Amino acid sequence: MSAILFYLATIIVYGAVDAMACLALNVEFGFAGLSNFGFIIFQAVGAYVAATLSMGPWRTSNGGFQEYVFGWHLPWPFPWIGAALAGGLLALPFVFLVGKRLRGDFAAVGLLVSAVLLNQLVNNFVPLFNGAAGVSIVPAPFQGIWNPQGLGYQFAYGAVAVVLCVATYFLLRRVTESPYGRSLRAMRDNDVVADSLGKNIRLQRTSIMVLGGAIAGLSGAILVGFINLWAPGAWGYAETIVLFAAIIVGGAGNHKGAVLGAILVPLGFEEVTRFIPPLSNPSLVPALEWVAIGLLIILFLWFRPDGILPERRRILSMSGPGSGSGSGSSAAEPAPDAVFGGALGRASDGADPDALINLGNLDSMDFRELLRLDPAPPDAGPVIMRTEGLTRAFNGVTVVEDVSIEIHRGRLTGLIGPNGAGKSTTLAMLAGTLAPTAGRIFYEGRDITSMPSNRRAGAGLVRTFQLASEFKKLTVLENLVSAIPDQSGDSLTGALRGRRYWGAEDRANIERATEMLHGFGLRQYADTYAGALSGGQRRLVEIMRALLARPTLLLLDEPMAGVHPNLAHKIGDQLTRLVEAGMTIVMVEHELSIMDAFCDPVIVLAEGRVLAEGTMAELRAKPEVVEAYLVG
Amino acid sequence: MSAELSTAGQVLTAHQVSAGYDGRAIVQGIDVEATPGRVVSIVGPNGSGKSTLLKSLVGVVPVLAGRVSVGGVDITNEPPERVATLGVGYVPQVDDVFTPLTVKENLEIGGYLLARQRVPERMAAVLEFFPRLKSMMSRKAGKLSGGERKMLAMGRVLMLAPSVLVLDEPTANLAPLVATQLLEEYIRGFADAGSTVLLVEQRAKAALRISDHTLVLGGGRVVLSGAPAQLADNPVFVESFLGGGTRH
Amino acid sequence: MSVFLSSLGFGIISAAVLAIATVGFTMQFAVTNVLNLAYGSVMINSAFVTYYLNAHLGLNAWVALLGGVATGSVASYLLNRFVYTPFQRRHLAPITIVIVALGVDLCGTFGLQAIVGGSYFSYRQSLGREWHVLGMYYSTLQLTIIAIALGVMLAVAWLLKYTRLGKAMRATSANPNLARNSGVRTDRVISTTWLISGALAGLAGTVFAMNTGVFEATSAQLYIVLLLAAMFLGGPGEPYGAMLGAAIIGVATELSAAFINPQYKMVIAFVILLGMLMFRPFGLFGSERTA
Repeated sequence: MSAILFYLATIIVYGAVDAMACLALNVEFGFAGLSNFGFIIFQAVGAYVAATLSMGPWRTSNGGFQEYVFGWHLPWPFPWIGAALAGGLLALPFVFLVGKRLRGDFAAVGLLVSAVLLNQLVNNFVPLFNGAAGVSIVPAPFQGIWNPQGLGYQFAYGAVAVVLCVATYFLLRRVTESPYGRSLRAMRDNDVVADSLGKNIRLQRTSIMVLGGAIAGLSGAILVGFINLWAPGAWGYAETIVLFAAIIVGGAGNHKGAVLGAILVPLGFEEVTRFIPPLSNPSLVPALEWVAIGLLIILFLWFRPDGILPERRRILSMSGPGSGSGSGSSAAEPAPDAVFGGALGRASDGADPDALINLGNLDSMDFRELLRLDPAPPDAGPVIMRTEGLTRAFNGVTVVEDVSIEIHRGRLTGLIGPNGAGKSTTLAMLAGTLAPTAGRIFYEGRDITSMPSNRRAGAGLVRTFQLASEFKKLTVLENLVSAIPDQSGDSLTGALRGRRYWGAEDRANIERATEMLHGFGLRQYADTYAGALSGGQRRLVEIMRALLARPTLLLLDEPMAGVHPNLAHKIGDQLTRLVEAGMTIVMVEHELSIMDAFCDPVIVLAEGRVLAEGTMAELRAKPEVVEAYLVG
Repeated sequence: MSAELSTAGQVLTAHQVSAGYDGRAIVQGIDVEATPGRVVSIVGPNGSGKSTLLKSLVGVVPVLAGRVSVGGVDITNEPPERVATLGVGYVPQVDDVFTPLTVKENLEIGGYLLARQRVPERMAAVLEFFPRLKSMMSRKAGKLSGGERKMLAMGRVLMLAPSVLVLDEPTANLAPLVATQLLEEYIRGFADAGSTVLLVEQRAKAALRISDHTLVLGGGRVVLSGAPAQLADNPVFVESFLGGGTRH
Repeated sequence: MSVFLSSLGFGIISAAVLAIATVGFTMQFAVTNVLNLAYGSVMINSAFVTYYLNAHLGLNAWVALLGGVATGSVASYLLNRFVYTPFQRRHLAPITIVIVALGVDLCGTFGLQAIVGGSYFSYRQSLGREWHVLGMYYSTLQLTIIAIALGVMLAVAWLLKYTRLGKAMRATSANPNLARNSGVRTDRVISTTWLISGALAGLAGTVFAMNTGVFEATSAQLYIVLLLAAMFLGGPGEPYGAMLGAAIIGVATELSAAFINPQYKMVIAFVILLGMLMFRPFGLFGSERTA
């Protein structure tokens, strides 16, 4: 009987440790999109640090048969705190790998290799953590005053582990359900776009790796305090794959899924195989265990890629759940919405739902109020942005050459030109998405040539993208709210302070975004995944999102591409109203009738250079422009 | 001049073709008939669906409705490698050469479907036509100038002596003089030698000058079509590119 | 004999084995854009097929090797055809394919271990007499491995440069759509590439096992790190770069083993790989591919 109880206590500790590790990895992988293939080293460093902080100096302890650093003989809880700190600090060097430049799978390989490297180093460098033999006879917490072999102790230990695991669960939920968590998921869905909306990608990745690393470190400490030994064999790189398998099975992006995965995979496998009678081939069972984990990964990714408990959709809209489709609460909701209220995306053949989108609600709204702009529009006219000799080459081919332009405040400037003229490249350089090969950019009198794009967004320089760039697995409302700058809950520290700290502000932000949605006639899609919308609806989401990022100068890259002409002109009308409200807009667009109707001035680019500037009527009279379009 | 360059043309027809990605039509209900000895050009503003239409004819973009045939053989939604075997040579607008391969290797890939012993003979014919490439046979295609690169792209296609040439904006990013030469000398030359030429061109006026028949696309549909002489004077033609001033 | 020369000698043999392996690995990346992290498990499985033919059926080791080569070839083809290609058709993020590859690696390595157990094996084969070359000592076996590697490199270079298939492979890697427009049946070219690169994996696995003398099911588990280091050094997807990268990594690991500490033999490869990933992910001489 007591054997079973001892066994139960062991399972509880292991389960809590695995669950903590999975929760932490899930926040990195499932929420922030960081494929940390080196995750196990964070748990390992925690275990080592906790062990060696609690052990005495190596020369005098246990006859000095093992060699290690620290040996400070610290009482509980200091070794555990040290373990969490070590796990968090270990994340810092990896910021170089997960910075925004490297392809995701290459970065993952880099982390995997780092894990192998550290394992080899620890394995071979004895003075650090006693090499391949590892550290053993690690004191259990309070072992001087309480017998660690006793059932009471073991259950108490299990209880502490479970409490810490539950605390981790609530802590991480607090983080992920905050505005900061929203930003993490936005980064996961599209880091380039999140960056252009002002998110500091490197900081977000660093902070989440530090948090994940600290939790992993603590889980290692709990484990080593219970099993009392730790060696390189326990944390081979493949252990990380087991944790990934757990998350894939349980459900990435879902905390409950991570816990379920931890119980099913690492714990389940370990425990079930314990009951298989010994065979003639001692490596058969462990080997089959690995095969099963490999198969589990492949089969789940194929048949149920979202896991047993998929990421859940977050309902933000104030009217509560149920407003997801159709039942627009406002009487002013335009009638045509009912036509495609339920059927998303494609309408029955022929009728393009985008043609029916009604922006009419906007007419009765004041953009200055909606966008929280200063009450009085700034004087139109002065130069807000100018470039000097802007040039960009790709692999030696010059795409934009010596472009010097001026953008005037309070105008809707059009940027046109034949295919390959360098319009989008120019816009990308203005927004900081691309660095110029040569030339300078000045914004509000400051040289911003080397300012990173997220800081430009903070300074009011916000762009949209030509290709669909919505955060697919965020709802429409989340897409919008995520763009609002200066949210107090949009940092790790802010998130940790809890809903009481940022809740009221967030509700106000949601209300604002809802108002915007109402204006653009898309209120009934508030809680729909943005990835499920039609092309025209997604373009509107992007425009709304950019507007909520509080732009002073809005850079639009073909906002009407692929949009039904009816809707395009409705958008154009609203852009005009925005400019009247004091905003400055630069718009790349190929549909010249749009330019005619809304843009003044229009800058013509051809073959990477500025060809002409003026109103469309003036341009149409210029032979060189006609040539550029109708060369002959 | 290029009698041996391409084989006698075949008729390429598209009947009521709609095409696009993910089941969403970008071009709709288009009819094209390109016949031997003639240049048929497709013009229209950016985003009007010209390239999509061309890609759907050669099997790169799915045809959602309608039929495409060449020389009487139905090629609707046939894979591009099969379309190539039927004598259709397609030059895309971008990514038109194999940049890490040398000029010679690009031409050899162009002649991939030929019997081995015919390759040198065909290559000689192509080089005869584009003599500038002769001096740069061992250069990487990625290092060529814009004009040289386009010659190579067309040369690659000519290796197979195609009966139908499908060209997507061959003059994009070329200096005006080079563009004019390419259109008037080479592309018109193919048709004069009996090939069928289907051309998408953004230099609309230049395209009209060398065409026998022109389609003007707008918003994924044919807005105008006819003989170039009639089109050039049609006010709708100019407006379809530069907009009509206040109307919208 | 100086320490330098002897470790250089070891380095050349390591480089020879690594070059065979890396060329196959990088070819797979070139035509399918897949980091096939299961490559090591294909190598070791092939080595075991050679072992079975050699030790159980009594074939000469060099004849048995052909069985290993065939195993690597067929296994790699099947892997691409039935695992990687179906996943790629779903347009998933590259990271998903990497995770799948890790899963395959576990299945391959430990599936083998489940069959052969955890013990060590060695081929029935003599090392041959000792030769004295340029101040370095080699066994006949080692010289044969170097000769095989040189032969393979020449054959691959010839394949890529002078054959219709090789050019089609390079064209498919550079621009698959244009290759199809030129009449290249890229699906067949890709399958053939996996057959060839898989054969190289099989060959590399067997000579790797011959070279180490004793081996077990998990012997090649960390070999992927050397492969990655050599590939990234030469630029991913570049067969000639892979040859150069393998030469540098092979020699550098043995020299560092001799002059720093044999236990840190792999460390130099890790450091090179991490440095490449951070500063030049497209290789020493490569530039980022456009489009």
